Amino acid sequence: MKRVAYYKGCLASLSAKELDTSTQALAPRVGLELVELESVTCCGAGDIHEAEPDYYLHLNARILAYAEATGSDTLLTVCNVCTLNLRQANFMLKGDDTLRARINANLEAVGVPPYSGEVEVRHLLWEIAEGDGYELLKQAAHKGLKGLKVAPFYGCQILRPSKIMGFEDPDRPWSLERIIEACGGEAIDYPAKIKCCGFPIIQAREETAMGELIQPVEQAIEAGADVMVTPCPLCHLSLDAWQQKLEASTGKKFGLPILHLAQLVGVAAGIEESELKFKRHIVDPRPALERLEV
Amino acid sequence: MMQVALKIWRYDASTGDRALREYEVDAPEEATLLDVLDIVKDKVDGSLAYRKSCRMMICGSCGMRMDGAAVLACKTRMYDVAQSGHVPVISAMGNLPIVRDLVVDMDPFWEKFKAMKPYLQPGYERPDDGREYRVTQERMNAVKKEALCINCGCCVSECNAMESDPEFLGPQALAKGFRFVGDPRDGATVERLEQYSGEHGIWECTRCFFCNERCPKGVDPRDAIAKLGAEAVKNGIDRDMGAKHAKWFIRSTETTGWLRETELVPKTQGVVSSIKQMKFAMNLIKHNKAGLAFPPHVAANVGEARNLHKLVHEQGVLGAAGHIQGERALSKLEHGYHEGGDPYGPGSFPKPYLPEDTE
Repeated sequence: MKRVAYYKGCLASLSAKELDTSTQALAPRVGLELVELESVTCCGAGDIHEAEPDYYLHLNARILAYAEATGSDTLLTVCNVCTLNLRQANFMLKGDDTLRARINANLEAVGVPPYSGEVEVRHLLWEIAEGDGYELLKQAAHKGLKGLKVAPFYGCQILRPSKIMGFEDPDRPWSLERIIEACGGEAIDYPAKIKCCGFPIIQAREETAMGELIQPVEQAIEAGADVMVTPCPLCHLSLDAWQQKLEASTGKKFGLPILHLAQLVGVAAGIEESELKFKRHIVDPRPALERLEV
Repeated sequence: MMQVALKIWRYDASTGDRALREYEVDAPEEATLLDVLDIVKDKVDGSLAYRKSCRMMICGSCGMRMDGAAVLACKTRMYDVAQSGHVPVISAMGNLPIVRDLVVDMDPFWEKFKAMKPYLQPGYERPDDGREYRVTQERMNAVKKEALCINCGCCVSECNAMESDPEFLGPQALAKGFRFVGDPRDGATVERLEQYSGEHGIWECTRCFFCNERCPKGVDPRDAIAKLGAEAVKNGIDRDMGAKHAKWFIRSTETTGWLRETELVPKTQGVVSSIKQMKFAMNLIKHNKAGLAFPPHVAANVGEARNLHKLVHEQGVLGAAGHIQGERALSKLEHGYHEGGDPYGPGSFPKPYLPEDTE
């Protein structure tokens, strides 16, 4: 078992609880022991980074410090945006001793342990797409997806900026496809899989966001997808919940079920629905998945 | 010498004719994409249209797409691609109308550029000693990255928000805007921030980071937009829904630690607009996607975050300075993906962007 500090972020704590429960259920089957962080806050979601960048850096340094205090060298994330925010702050702190010293002095002033820079931030996707996690995933996925056509949707902030993410080629990613295939599914291809779902501006500029959101939904359906899978709960929220608005504005019926990464693997691994919690989705994935039972 | 094969999207706007043509030429091993296009034009098909001038990554003329990704043709070496056996697809940049073949109409680009008032509006007084106004290197470093822009349009080509809303000012214009907002000699900071905070400005950026990824000069336009956002908030120019949205995140971290999701909509859009979202919201509540957490979901020791926020304000590293302080460390990281196997293997999607392409 690899012991990792687990940062679930805002959505998995509240509106996407199904992401948390399915991650917790999956973790031991792919060799991860999750040490949940209690004294942590929101990473700022790109919003605090934009508006008050110095506060953003302190908030994320605090999360990294508490992760380091668990004794693990890995901070596991389940959200693209958390991953970017934490990795970016981590590089800033690791790469500049003067800056880290100032932030640490402030952390200590409010009672937070200082951060020495020894933690690596990794998304669940990366843990199970290669190495031991991938080998265990292949064993765990015994039920298989039996040829289910799955559209991988990466979202932006697990791929770009590549200098901060650095896991795979941002234009030709492979990790989701590899996992889908290891689970017995068929990964379908479509151009918008690496593009934006519109979520960051879905409240402030809904129309612009909708023009982005429709691309992966339409293209995936056209390519024959039964379901879509994403490693990001923010992408999940826009793709799942705002799909009804797309239907209203276009007059088309999409009905594309969107799965969190841990749920898709969870289905293949035979995890109970009480953990996967599909009833919390707006577009119910169960009809598409029930066909697998036949 | 090496053999290089290319597929080029040829296009004639006057007739609407479009065709993907394949070319194969001999080129020196050090040839760039631009060199290869020159050879095609000289030896195979003189009617091929593309822009070029300096051939050394400074004029910004030869932006185009290779396998769907914007590049400067003169910066793109072809040896590895040719050796891999892959035949790349060359097409015109996205988000701008195509005039012919690889040439786009840059007028919409220059209109937005001009709208930013991309010139210094001096706002300083001459020093008492009669000498010239002096600026430290440190203060000019604030705009070092943005000053590198060569107006090639590679960032605009890939901007996801602009694809959806062509009116969005976009990464190039906004990065240019910060080049002046961040310049200590410029005196129009507040006017600029007011203007750039409009409907199609700072807060319409969708944070897809394609601009950072594609910029051939390391400008990182998305980071420049974040700097503008930080300067706007610092200067109290925060009426836009995007700024209000960001401020609610700050408030959430100080009170419950986690985002107070349910209140985010009224705090961003206002009460009247939120009521219009009621039907949508009720459906989310039905699926436990929204609604108030009871008891409230509060992070342990959230007082630490509140105190950190206070401390940060006292120390006064506000606005873009908060972004700039991290640049030294981030500059050690190289853009692009440099490890791993075959870059043109499974998952590759070399589809060029053509607005009305039905293929």
